[in-house]
Amino acid sequence: MDIQIKRGLLDVCVLASIKIEDSYGYQIIKDIKPYIEVSESTLYPILRRLESAELLTVRTAEHNGRLRKYYHITEAGLKRIEDFKEEWKEITSIYEYVTREDKKDE
Amino acid sequence: MNKAEFLDALSKKLSMLSQEDIQKSIDYYSEIIDDMTEDGLSETEAVESIGTVDEIAEQILMDTPLPKLVKAKVTPKRSLKGWEIALIILGFPVWFPLIVTAISVVISVYAALWVVIVALYAVVFALFVSAGAFLPATFVSVFGGNVLRGIVFFGITLFCVGAGILLLLAFNQLTKLIIKLSKAILKGIKSWFVKKEKTNESI
Repeated sequence: MDIQIKRGLLDVCVLASIKIEDSYGYQIIKDIKPYIEVSESTLYPILRRLESAELLTVRTAEHNGRLRKYYHITEAGLKRIEDFKEEWKEITSIYEYVTREDKKDE
Repeated sequence: MNKAEFLDALSKKLSMLSQEDIQKSIDYYSEIIDDMTEDGLSETEAVESIGTVDEIAEQILMDTPLPKLVKAKVTPKRSLKGWEIALIILGFPVWFPLIVTAISVVISVYAALWVVIVALYAVVFALFVSAGAFLPATFVSVFGGNVLRGIVFFGITLFCVGAGILLLLAFNQLTKLIIKLSKAILKGIKSWFVKKEKTNESI
């Protein structure tokens, strides 16, 4: 997949994984791995980028006697997901246009 | 490699970054490894599944913005001793021109690449201008009675248009290559900062 497209999709996937409830690094990876290729080392820069863009906030909470960082989506983060849905409509109409020849052939 | 060894090796590789940035990375990987072991993996398995320290360190450094990288590299990890400050001040006439030279070289390489692009399109432009000049000259010659000269001029016109179109196509490709090259140079400069640290360490 094109690297720019994948980067954008990863951002949205990570945001979607914390949309309903706050989550932590390892859980986010487990949640989105079935849908998009992601590793521990690729998630790290994404989380930092989303944090500095204020699409999510970080809080530290105790878990089993150690600290764990939980990620919480912000209003801007929710808006990013909504923007993605709108963009996706455009992409599907572009897809229809790109594949119109294939359909004629069938 | 167990968790402690892994985190220790990683923080050494990241030593060029600020203490805060190193701590953030260490916290992240420490948490991931803990979560993996909680999930049933052994510490060694967890560390192995994350990847090698070198790969992870390089990825973190490459994701750090260039200005931050340079700043982290230039800022000393400890406070300077008196004689070091004296040396820096006394050495100013030496290192200042060197830094200015290094920056100028990078800028000139960039400028040179763009000059090449401008020059290439200037050639195409010149060919089309020539074609534009020879076409009326053709008509003037033919209607002026000098058919032979008119034919020669018309040939030149066609040649200019043809060569212009061909070169334009070729130059478009070449420009794309040059832009790729300039991006590669920027990436190269960045990785030079990243790699430099590694060699320093091995000494």
